[in-house]
Amino acid sequence: MAHPVISLPLRLGLVLILALWSARASAEGGEPGAASSEQGPVPGAPDAPREVADVALLPAASEDPMGRTSLLGVPTLGQPRPSFQVLPVVASVVPGLLFHGLGPLAAGDTRTAGRLFAMEGTGLGLLLLGVAPIGLTGASRRVIGPLYAVSLTGASLFMLSAMANIYSTVSPAFTPGLAAPRLPPLELDFGYQHVSDPNFDYRHFLALGATARLSSVRLEATARLSSNDANMRIRLGGAYRLIGEPELARGGTDGTALDVEAGVVYHRFPTEGFLMASGEVGLKGRYAMARLSPRLEGSFAEVGAGLALQGYGYFGPVSEDALHQQILFTIAYGVYLGRAGPLRGEALLYYDHRKDDYAGGLKAGAGVPGHFGLRGRVLLSERWGVSADVQAGSAYVARLSAVYTMGGEP
Amino acid sequence: MRRLGLLLALLPLAGCVRPAEGRALKDLQIGRAEGGGLSVVVEEGLAAVRGLETGALTLWGNAPALRIRATAMAGAPEWWTLVVRNAMPDAVLSAEAGGEPLEVEEGPSLVPTVKTWRVRLPPSGEARLTVAPPDWESPRPFRFAALADVQEALPRVGDIYARMNEDPSLRFIVFSGDLTESGSREQLEEFQERLKDSRVPLYATLGNHETFTLDVQYQELVGRGSQHFSYQGVHFSLLDTGNGTVDPIVEEQLDGWLEEGRDAVHVVGMHIAPLDPVGVRNGSFSSRNEAAALVGKLSRAGVDVTLYGHVHSYYAYSNAGIPAYISGGGGAIPETFDGVGRHYLAVDVDPSSGVEEVAVVRVD
Repeated sequence: MAHPVISLPLRLGLVLILALWSARASAEGGEPGAASSEQGPVPGAPDAPREVADVALLPAASEDPMGRTSLLGVPTLGQPRPSFQVLPVVASVVPGLLFHGLGPLAAGDTRTAGRLFAMEGTGLGLLLLGVAPIGLTGASRRVIGPLYAVSLTGASLFMLSAMANIYSTVSPAFTPGLAAPRLPPLELDFGYQHVSDPNFDYRHFLALGATARLSSVRLEATARLSSNDANMRIRLGGAYRLIGEPELARGGTDGTALDVEAGVVYHRFPTEGFLMASGEVGLKGRYAMARLSPRLEGSFAEVGAGLALQGYGYFGPVSEDALHQQILFTIAYGVYLGRAGPLRGEALLYYDHRKDDYAGGLKAGAGVPGHFGLRGRVLLSERWGVSADVQAGSAYVARLSAVYTMGGEP
Repeated sequence: MRRLGLLLALLPLAGCVRPAEGRALKDLQIGRAEGGGLSVVVEEGLAAVRGLETGALTLWGNAPALRIRATAMAGAPEWWTLVVRNAMPDAVLSAEAGGEPLEVEEGPSLVPTVKTWRVRLPPSGEARLTVAPPDWESPRPFRFAALADVQEALPRVGDIYARMNEDPSLRFIVFSGDLTESGSREQLEEFQERLKDSRVPLYATLGNHETFTLDVQYQELVGRGSQHFSYQGVHFSLLDTGNGTVDPIVEEQLDGWLEEGRDAVHVVGMHIAPLDPVGVRNGSFSSRNEAAALVGKLSRAGVDVTLYGHVHSYYAYSNAGIPAYISGGGGAIPETFDGVGRHYLAVDVDPSSGVEEVAVVRVD
């Protein structure tokens, strides 16, 4: 059996690649789902004075004259968007949080309902397939890596289908956002971060960040500097786009992509007398949910998986040379904000499995779960925007930053 | 009113980041009781008061040496029966009030770890009672056992005690949590009933399984989740990490205990380890930052060894340079493919030199 450290990222990567391969294949094959955003403008769209069509979507996948079912989520011109109804929204929460197709089912969209039920069922099945052996093997070190991979993949499908269920019922109430056709080559952000952690004295942080985009490469740097504790966390990272258009030139595509990411983190705790340094590598994929159902246009799922190796150094006469592994796994359901003009961005509700940042993991579940968060970024003008992030884990973290862009879309 | 509403709304959120706060506060009440005309305080909360009625006091000891302050009220009887369950087999009772020794009569002891005495308390003023082996303050080498994670294997735990009973040098058992499957009163009482099979007492902290009941019974029946005691020159600190964290109240207590044990041999035990040697699994603290801060603090305070449970196997590693042992061999679903099975650790300590040896003793 492969060592869990090796087999885990391999398996996670395989899952991601398989999930996104069909998306790329469909885009390259000229499938209508991928081409939808390249169609002509539709007069009358309330806030869409742009080349991308405000396409009306069928409530369910359609069949062509030959009787063939069209691609998942084919936006179809000339069809009215489904109307907003209160009952499906209620059903999507109670009992829809347990039965993930109930929202669209209550709205009469059996196709979307079926797909969400299938997604939930697959997720639950994978969860059972992963969690049960973990229990039976006493979380054996020999198999925990692959079993976690299966469990977290199952949890991803379960959580994403739950969010999609709700989104599918509320999305008729507004015009869905679109992926920005071009993200700025350089983006700077600076702001304030507050951390409320009962086990640490630090509270106030200066939050700095920079993102540079060069063709298929994205470089990132973030720093958190505590004003009352001298705590400091710096992360330098980069990503290379394996599948999908570069963020600099998305064009009219829907944002579906797969990146390989890597980074290093340096975190210093002067008050507590230690520091942590780590290196991490992983894959992160984004999938436009309109490909699953037209009702989900404007939303996307994001899944990332990887591994980190960490070392701790302790101040004073303490020697430690052990390296610690950490599984990295993020699940996010996001929406694009805005369709054109300077007001453009995205917001994500997410789960992050990591335990080594300010939020840490939830103090329930004996160290297993990570933290939840809500993150958003929106440009308010050609140059300026705001980003915010709130997280709940071992601590509560809130950040609000101003964003300054250079060379972004007009 | 609006502020009160906001506060109430935020309380559950606070509970999410301090899930062990309630237990830390309850710890401070352990070992205190009033009833039957007597007021009792067990110093450092090292015993749970299991019964207090006219003329009779029953304690569950959770340390080798107990110091008790007892104040009789008007109308209270002169003679009191003191029963200490989970006591050291060679424990004796000494009692004094105002510098004068009190009359003590030793009762029958049908079980080695259940000790009974009669003591004559003064009609007024505070009496000081000490229940401990005669040599408990004399620094000298000794051996203790480290055990954890019995859980659903409670019906079979007698095998482990039988194996331990074969070793006459064991003085007591340090138990790192998960005594039972769900921490119910019935399960904890069964655990204590089966402990009668052991020749030596068992001093414990709780595990995450003891928190599975809404109304946690552990402290009433066993004692504090976090505590500190010393025996023959060696310090022991047991921490409540049942939620994968150390509550700030406990951490403040720990700072004092570390200072007390700075120049001595110091053993620290807890259920969930700060850092799991298998990081991908992370059967450890929820925050690695908190974990690193804790083990760094232990290391700088000169802690000699850390003992953990939670993972049902055996691991020997180091955290911040401190030798660390996970020994969850009490019988709960074992970690497969590790070839370990039920086991405990036999730990030899010498107060003049430190931890001499940590040996795995297999039961099956």
